[in-house]
Amino acid sequence: MIAVLGLVVGVVVGLLVRPEVPAVVEPYLPIAVVAALDAVFGGLRAMLDGIFVDKVFVVSFLSNVVVAALIVFLGDKLGVGAQLSTGVVVVLGIRIFSNAAAIRRHVFRA
Amino acid sequence: MSNEERPGEPDHADAQTPGSTTHELTGRQRLVAGLWPPRVTRAQLVVALLLFVLGLGLAIQVRSTSDNSALRGARQEDLVRILDELDDRTQRLEDEKQRLAAQRTELENSSDQAEEARRQTVEKERQLGVLAGTVAAHGPGITLTVNDPGDGVKADMLLDALQELRAAGAEAIEVNGVRVVANTYFSGDGGNVRVDDRKITAPYVFKVIGKPQDLEPALNIPGGVVQTLEKEQATVQVEQVDDIVVDALRPAKQPDYARSSSP
Repeated sequence: MIAVLGLVVGVVVGLLVRPEVPAVVEPYLPIAVVAALDAVFGGLRAMLDGIFVDKVFVVSFLSNVVVAALIVFLGDKLGVGAQLSTGVVVVLGIRIFSNAAAIRRHVFRA
Repeated sequence: MSNEERPGEPDHADAQTPGSTTHELTGRQRLVAGLWPPRVTRAQLVVALLLFVLGLGLAIQVRSTSDNSALRGARQEDLVRILDELDDRTQRLEDEKQRLAAQRTELENSSDQAEEARRQTVEKERQLGVLAGTVAAHGPGITLTVNDPGDGVKADMLLDALQELRAAGAEAIEVNGVRVVANTYFSGDGGNVRVDDRKITAPYVFKVIGKPQDLEPALNIPGGVVQTLEKEQATVQVEQVDDIVVDALRPAKQPDYARSSSP
Protein backbone atom coordinates (compact mmCIF):
# COMPACT_ATOMS: atom_id res chain seq x y z
CA MET A 1 0.00 0.00 0.00
CA ILE A 2 2.72 2.39 0.96
CA ALA A 3 4.58 1.39 -2.21
CA VAL A 4 1.57 2.30 -4.35
CA LEU A 5 1.27 5.55 -2.46
CA GLY A 6 4.94 6.20 -3.22
CA LEU A 7 4.30 5.81 -6.94
CA VAL A 8 1.28 8.10 -6.84
CA VAL A 9 3.11 10.73 -4.83
CA GLY A 10 6.04 10.54 -7.24
CA VAL A 11 3.83 11.17 -10.25
CA VAL A 12 2.01 14.02 -8.52
CA VAL A 13 5.23 15.66 -7.37
CA GLY A 14 6.75 15.29 -10.83
CA LEU A 15 3.73 16.93 -12.45
CA LEU A 16 3.43 19.71 -9.91
CA VAL A 17 7.01 20.65 -9.20
CA ARG A 18 8.14 20.30 -12.80
CA PRO A 19 11.82 19.96 -11.94
CA GLU A 20 14.46 20.87 -14.46
CA VAL A 21 16.32 17.82 -15.70
CA PRO A 22 20.01 18.39 -16.33
CA ALA A 23 20.80 18.24 -20.00
CA VAL A 24 23.34 15.48 -19.47
CA VAL A 25 20.76 13.12 -18.00
CA GLU A 26 17.98 14.06 -20.37
CA PRO A 27 18.54 11.56 -23.20
CA TYR A 28 18.76 8.67 -20.73
CA LEU A 29 15.64 9.44 -18.75
CA PRO A 30 13.12 7.70 -21.02
CA ILE A 31 15.22 4.53 -21.21
CA ALA A 32 15.79 4.63 -17.46
CA VAL A 33 12.07 4.93 -16.86
CA VAL A 34 11.33 1.95 -19.06
CA ALA A 35 14.03 -0.08 -17.31
CA ALA A 36 12.61 0.86 -13.93
CA LEU A 37 9.17 -0.18 -15.12
CA ASP A 38 10.61 -3.54 -16.05
CA ALA A 39 12.08 -3.88 -12.57
CA VAL A 40 8.78 -2.94 -10.99
CA PHE A 41 6.87 -5.51 -12.99
CA GLY A 42 9.47 -8.10 -12.10
CA GLY A 43 9.13 -7.19 -8.45
CA LEU A 44 5.36 -7.38 -8.58
CA ARG A 45 5.55 -10.81 -10.13
CA ALA A 46 8.03 -11.95 -7.50
CA MET A 47 5.74 -10.72 -4.81
CA LEU A 48 2.86 -12.69 -6.24
CA ASP A 49 5.13 -15.69 -6.45
CA GLY A 50 5.99 -15.22 -2.82
CA ILE A 51 9.67 -14.85 -3.44
CA PHE A 52 9.97 -11.09 -3.10
CA VAL A 53 13.10 -9.82 -1.38
CA ASP A 54 13.40 -6.11 -0.97
CA LYS A 55 17.17 -6.07 -1.28
CA VAL A 56 16.96 -7.89 -4.59
CA PHE A 57 14.35 -5.47 -5.80
CA VAL A 58 16.49 -2.46 -4.94
CA VAL A 59 19.53 -3.91 -6.63
CA SER A 60 17.62 -4.95 -9.73
CA PHE A 61 15.88 -1.60 -9.98
CA LEU A 62 19.10 0.40 -9.75
CA SER A 63 21.14 -1.92 -11.95
CA ASN A 64 18.38 -1.95 -14.57
CA VAL A 65 18.38 1.81 -14.71
CA VAL A 66 22.14 2.11 -14.73
CA VAL A 67 22.70 -0.59 -17.34
CA ALA A 68 20.00 0.78 -19.64
CA ALA A 69 21.45 4.27 -19.41
CA LEU A 70 24.93 2.86 -19.95
CA ILE A 71 23.85 1.04 -23.10
CA VAL A 72 22.31 4.17 -24.53
CA PHE A 73 25.37 6.19 -23.57
CA LEU A 74 27.61 3.67 -25.26
CA GLY A 75 25.36 3.65 -28.32
CA ASP A 76 25.55 7.42 -28.52
CA LYS A 77 29.32 7.27 -28.37
CA LEU A 78 29.39 4.61 -31.08
CA GLY A 79 26.96 6.51 -33.26
CA VAL A 80 24.21 3.90 -33.03
CA GLY A 81 22.38 5.49 -30.12
CA ALA A 82 18.99 5.54 -31.80
CA GLN A 83 19.12 1.89 -32.88
CA LEU A 84 20.53 0.68 -29.59
CA SER A 85 17.95 2.50 -27.51
CA THR A 86 15.26 1.02 -29.74
CA GLY A 87 16.75 -2.39 -29.05
CA VAL A 88 16.78 -1.77 -25.30
CA VAL A 89 13.18 -0.64 -25.37
CA VAL A 90 12.16 -3.72 -27.35
CA VAL A 91 13.93 -6.10 -24.96
CA LEU A 92 12.54 -4.40 -21.90
CA GLY A 93 9.10 -4.34 -23.50
CA ILE A 94 9.24 -8.11 -24.06
CA ARG A 95 10.24 -8.64 -20.45
CA ILE A 96 7.48 -6.38 -19.22
CA PHE A 97 4.98 -8.33 -21.30
CA SER A 98 6.12 -11.70 -20.00
CA ASN A 99 6.05 -10.46 -16.41
CA ALA A 100 2.65 -8.94 -17.01
CA ALA A 101 1.47 -12.30 -18.32
CA ALA A 102 2.65 -14.01 -15.14
CA ILE A 103 0.97 -11.37 -13.01
CA ARG A 104 -2.20 -11.78 -15.00
CA ARG A 105 -2.19 -15.52 -14.34
CA HIS A 106 -1.86 -14.86 -10.65
CA VAL A 107 -4.54 -12.25 -10.49
CA PHE A 108 -7.10 -13.58 -12.92
CA ARG A 109 -6.03 -17.22 -12.88
CA ALA A 110 -6.11 -17.16 -16.64
CA MET B 1 18.32 -8.35 -13.89
CA SER B 2 14.99 -8.23 -12.22
CA ASN B 3 14.50 -10.02 -9.00
CA GLU B 4 12.24 -12.87 -9.94
CA GLU B 5 15.22 -14.61 -11.52
CA ARG B 6 17.04 -14.67 -8.27
CA PRO B 7 15.61 -17.73 -6.59
CA GLY B 8 16.63 -19.89 -9.52
CA GLU B 9 13.22 -20.30 -11.01
CA PRO B 10 13.00 -19.97 -14.79
CA ASP B 11 11.55 -16.72 -16.10
CA HIS B 12 8.28 -18.24 -17.18
CA ALA B 13 8.07 -20.70 -14.37
CA ASP B 14 4.38 -20.41 -13.69
CA ALA B 15 3.60 -20.42 -17.38
CA GLN B 16 4.91 -23.91 -17.79
CA THR B 17 4.55 -25.53 -14.45
CA PRO B 18 1.02 -26.54 -13.56
CA GLY B 19 1.02 -24.51 -10.41
CA SER B 20 -1.19 -25.78 -7.66
CA THR B 21 -4.35 -23.86 -6.87
CA THR B 22 -3.06 -23.01 -3.44
CA HIS B 23 -0.02 -21.36 -5.02
CA GLU B 24 -2.14 -19.21 -7.26
CA LEU B 25 -4.50 -18.40 -4.45
CA THR B 26 -1.65 -17.35 -2.28
CA GLY B 27 -0.42 -15.14 -5.09
CA ARG B 28 -3.68 -13.31 -5.10
CA GLN B 29 -3.91 -13.32 -1.36
CA ARG B 30 -0.42 -11.96 -1.14
CA LEU B 31 -1.40 -9.08 -3.38
CA VAL B 32 -4.45 -8.30 -1.30
CA ALA B 33 -2.53 -8.71 1.91
CA GLY B 34 0.22 -6.46 0.66
CA LEU B 35 -2.32 -3.86 -0.44
CA TRP B 36 -4.89 -3.56 2.20
CA PRO B 37 -3.67 -3.40 5.77
CA PRO B 38 -0.98 -0.78 5.25
CA ARG B 39 2.03 -1.95 7.15
CA VAL B 40 5.14 0.09 7.56
CA THR B 41 7.85 -2.39 6.88
CA ARG B 42 11.32 -1.90 5.55
CA ALA B 43 10.38 -3.58 2.28
CA GLN B 44 7.36 -1.38 1.81
CA LEU B 45 9.36 1.77 2.50
CA VAL B 46 12.19 0.84 0.18
CA VAL B 47 9.82 -0.08 -2.61
CA ALA B 48 7.85 3.09 -1.99
CA LEU B 49 11.02 5.13 -2.32
CA LEU B 50 12.00 3.48 -5.59
CA LEU B 51 8.48 3.76 -6.95
CA PHE B 52 8.52 7.41 -5.96
CA VAL B 53 11.64 7.85 -8.06
CA LEU B 54 10.01 5.94 -10.90
CA GLY B 55 6.87 8.06 -10.74
CA LEU B 56 8.97 11.18 -10.66
CA GLY B 57 10.92 10.14 -13.72
CA LEU B 58 7.77 9.07 -15.48
CA ALA B 59 6.05 12.34 -14.80
CA ILE B 60 9.06 14.38 -15.82
CA GLN B 61 9.43 12.43 -19.02
CA VAL B 62 5.77 12.67 -19.88
CA ARG B 63 5.89 16.37 -19.09
CA SER B 64 8.89 17.05 -21.25
CA THR B 65 7.53 14.94 -24.10
CA SER B 66 4.21 16.72 -24.06
CA ASP B 67 6.03 20.01 -23.93
CA ASN B 68 5.34 21.35 -27.34
CA SER B 69 8.99 21.27 -28.31
CA ALA B 70 9.53 17.93 -29.94
CA LEU B 71 13.21 18.77 -29.92
CA ARG B 72 13.49 18.31 -26.18
CA GLY B 73 13.78 14.57 -26.22
CA ALA B 74 15.40 14.35 -29.61
CA ARG B 75 18.75 12.67 -30.02
CA GLN B 76 21.85 14.43 -31.12
CA GLU B 77 21.93 13.10 -34.66
CA ASP B 78 18.25 13.88 -35.10
CA LEU B 79 18.92 17.39 -33.93
CA VAL B 80 21.79 17.73 -36.36
CA ARG B 81 19.57 16.50 -39.16
CA ILE B 82 16.80 18.87 -38.19
CA LEU B 83 19.30 21.71 -38.03
CA ASP B 84 20.59 20.83 -41.48
CA GLU B 85 17.10 20.77 -42.87
CA LEU B 86 16.38 24.11 -41.29
CA ASP B 87 19.57 25.53 -42.74
CA ASP B 88 18.62 24.26 -46.17
CA ARG B 89 15.18 25.69 -45.81
CA THR B 90 16.57 29.01 -44.63
CA GLN B 91 18.86 29.06 -47.62
CA ARG B 92 16.05 28.32 -50.00
CA LEU B 93 13.82 30.95 -48.49
CA GLU B 94 16.67 33.44 -48.51
CA ASP B 95 17.23 32.76 -52.21
CA GLU B 96 13.57 33.18 -52.88
CA LYS B 97 13.54 36.40 -50.94
CA GLN B 98 16.39 37.77 -52.97
CA ARG B 99 14.72 36.73 -56.18
CA LEU B 100 11.48 38.41 -55.17
CA ALA B 101 13.28 41.52 -54.03
CA ALA B 102 15.06 41.74 -57.37
CA GLN B 103 11.75 41.28 -59.12
CA ARG B 104 10.21 43.99 -57.00
CA THR B 105 13.04 46.37 -57.76
CA GLU B 106 12.65 45.63 -61.43
CA LEU B 107 8.93 46.26 -61.33
CA GLU B 108 9.42 49.44 -59.38
CA ASN B 109 11.99 50.62 -61.87
CA SER B 110 9.78 49.83 -64.81
CA SER B 111 6.83 51.55 -63.21
CA ASP B 112 9.07 54.47 -62.41
CA GLN B 113 10.14 54.52 -66.02
CA ALA B 114 6.56 54.33 -67.19
CA GLU B 115 5.67 57.15 -64.83
CA GLU B 116 8.62 59.18 -66.07
CA ALA B 117 7.68 58.56 -69.68
CA ARG B 118 4.12 59.58 -68.97
CA ARG B 119 5.29 62.71 -67.21
CA GLN B 120 7.53 63.60 -70.10
CA THR B 121 4.72 62.98 -72.53
CA VAL B 122 2.43 65.29 -70.61
CA GLU B 123 5.16 67.89 -70.42
CA LYS B 124 5.80 67.62 -74.14
CA GLU B 125 2.12 67.77 -74.91
CA ARG B 126 1.93 70.98 -72.94
CA GLN B 127 4.91 72.46 -74.73
CA LEU B 128 3.58 71.44 -78.10
CA GLY B 129 0.17 72.69 -77.08
CA VAL B 130 1.66 76.14 -76.44
CA LEU B 131 3.24 76.09 -79.88
CA ALA B 132 0.15 74.75 -81.60
CA GLY B 133 -2.10 77.13 -79.74
CA THR B 134 -4.29 74.47 -78.21
CA VAL B 135 -3.57 75.47 -74.62
CA ALA B 136 -3.49 78.82 -72.90
CA ALA B 137 -0.14 80.16 -71.81
CA HIS B 138 1.10 82.82 -69.48
CA GLY B 139 4.44 84.31 -68.65
CA PRO B 140 6.51 87.46 -68.96
CA GLY B 141 6.30 89.31 -72.23
CA ILE B 142 5.20 92.50 -73.95
CA THR B 143 2.13 94.03 -75.45
CA LEU B 144 2.50 95.82 -78.73
CA THR B 145 -0.34 98.19 -79.49
CA VAL B 146 -0.57 99.74 -82.95
CA ASN B 147 -3.06 102.55 -83.43
CA ASP B 148 -3.79 103.26 -87.01
CA PRO B 149 -5.80 106.45 -87.45
CA GLY B 150 -4.84 106.77 -91.12
CA ASP B 151 -5.55 103.16 -92.14
CA GLY B 152 -2.00 102.96 -93.40
CA VAL B 153 -1.03 99.72 -91.76
CA LYS B 154 -1.10 96.86 -94.20
CA ALA B 155 -1.00 93.19 -93.70
CA ASP B 156 2.65 92.86 -94.64
CA MET B 157 3.64 95.35 -91.96
CA LEU B 158 1.86 93.35 -89.34
CA LEU B 159 3.50 90.25 -90.73
CA ASP B 160 6.89 91.96 -90.46
CA ALA B 161 6.14 92.80 -86.86
CA LEU B 162 5.18 89.20 -86.23
CA GLN B 163 8.33 87.84 -87.87
CA GLU B 164 10.42 90.24 -85.87
CA LEU B 165 8.78 89.02 -82.68
CA ARG B 166 9.32 85.40 -83.64
CA ALA B 167 12.94 86.05 -84.47
CA ALA B 168 13.36 87.65 -81.06
CA GLY B 169 12.18 84.51 -79.36
CA ALA B 170 8.45 85.01 -78.89
CA GLU B 171 6.86 81.80 -77.73
CA ALA B 172 3.16 82.50 -77.77
CA ILE B 173 1.45 85.34 -79.61
CA GLU B 174 -2.10 86.55 -79.82
CA VAL B 175 -3.31 89.31 -82.13
CA ASN B 176 -6.67 90.90 -81.30
CA GLY B 177 -7.93 87.68 -79.83
CA VAL B 178 -6.53 85.42 -82.57
CA ARG B 179 -3.86 82.94 -81.56
CA VAL B 180 -0.89 83.07 -83.84
CA VAL B 181 0.39 79.68 -84.89
CA ALA B 182 2.66 78.29 -87.59
CA ASN B 183 0.22 78.69 -90.46
CA THR B 184 -1.17 82.06 -89.46
CA TYR B 185 -1.39 84.49 -92.32
CA PHE B 186 -2.24 88.16 -92.74
CA SER B 187 -4.12 89.50 -95.67
CA GLY B 188 -5.86 92.68 -96.78
CA ASP B 189 -5.02 96.32 -97.03
CA GLY B 190 -5.03 99.16 -94.61
CA GLY B 191 -8.27 99.36 -92.68
CA ASN B 192 -9.31 95.93 -93.84
CA VAL B 193 -6.75 93.55 -92.41
CA ARG B 194 -7.59 89.91 -91.86
CA VAL B 195 -5.76 87.40 -89.74
CA ASP B 196 -6.48 83.80 -90.61
CA ASP B 197 -9.51 85.12 -92.48
CA ARG B 198 -10.81 86.97 -89.44
CA LYS B 199 -11.13 90.67 -89.80
CA ILE B 200 -9.36 92.71 -87.22
CA THR B 201 -9.49 96.41 -86.73
CA ALA B 202 -7.18 98.93 -85.17
CA PRO B 203 -5.88 99.17 -82.59
CA TYR B 204 -3.94 96.04 -83.30
CA VAL B 205 -2.85 94.53 -80.00
CA PHE B 206 -0.10 91.90 -79.97
CA LYS B 207 0.15 89.98 -76.71
CA VAL B 208 3.52 88.26 -76.81
CA ILE B 209 5.13 85.88 -74.34
CA GLY B 210 8.89 85.84 -74.44
CA LYS B 211 11.87 87.54 -72.92
CA PRO B 212 10.84 91.24 -72.71
CA GLN B 213 14.44 92.42 -72.75
CA ASP B 214 14.86 90.74 -76.17
CA LEU B 215 11.47 91.55 -77.65
CA GLU B 216 11.34 95.25 -77.01
CA PRO B 217 14.73 96.14 -78.55
CA ALA B 218 13.94 93.92 -81.51
CA LEU B 219 10.95 96.10 -82.29
CA ASN B 220 12.73 99.36 -81.61
CA ILE B 221 15.85 98.90 -83.67
CA PRO B 222 16.46 101.73 -86.15
CA GLY B 223 14.67 100.99 -89.36
CA GLY B 224 12.77 98.29 -87.58
CA VAL B 225 9.13 97.57 -87.10
CA VAL B 226 8.27 100.54 -84.95
CA GLN B 227 9.90 103.05 -87.25
CA THR B 228 8.28 101.51 -90.32
CA LEU B 229 4.86 101.70 -88.72
CA GLU B 230 5.37 105.25 -87.52
CA LYS B 231 6.18 106.21 -91.09
CA GLU B 232 2.61 105.23 -91.91
CA GLN B 233 1.27 107.64 -89.27
CA ALA B 234 0.56 104.82 -86.88
CA THR B 235 1.27 105.18 -83.19
CA VAL B 236 3.03 102.28 -81.58
CA GLN B 237 3.21 101.44 -77.89
CA VAL B 238 5.42 98.72 -76.54
CA GLU B 239 4.91 97.78 -72.94
CA GLN B 240 6.72 95.18 -70.87
CA VAL B 241 4.45 93.05 -68.74
CA ASP B 242 5.53 90.69 -65.96
CA ASP B 243 2.79 88.18 -66.48
CA ILE B 244 0.85 88.22 -69.66
CA VAL B 245 -1.89 85.75 -70.48
CA VAL B 246 -2.37 84.34 -73.93
CA ASP B 247 -5.64 82.50 -73.75
CA ALA B 248 -7.00 82.56 -77.28
CA LEU B 249 -7.11 78.95 -78.41
CA ARG B 250 -7.01 76.98 -81.60
CA PRO B 251 -8.70 73.66 -82.11
CA ALA B 252 -6.26 70.79 -82.38
CA LYS B 253 -6.28 69.67 -85.97
CA GLN B 254 -5.61 66.09 -86.84
CA PRO B 255 -3.56 65.86 -90.02
CA ASP B 256 -5.30 63.90 -92.71
CA TYR B 257 -2.27 62.59 -94.56
CA ALA B 258 0.85 63.26 -92.60
CA ARG B 259 1.74 60.56 -90.09
CA SER B 260 4.50 60.64 -87.56
CA SER B 261 7.42 58.62 -88.79
CA SER B 262 9.22 58.53 -85.47
CA PRO B 263 8.54 55.34 -83.50
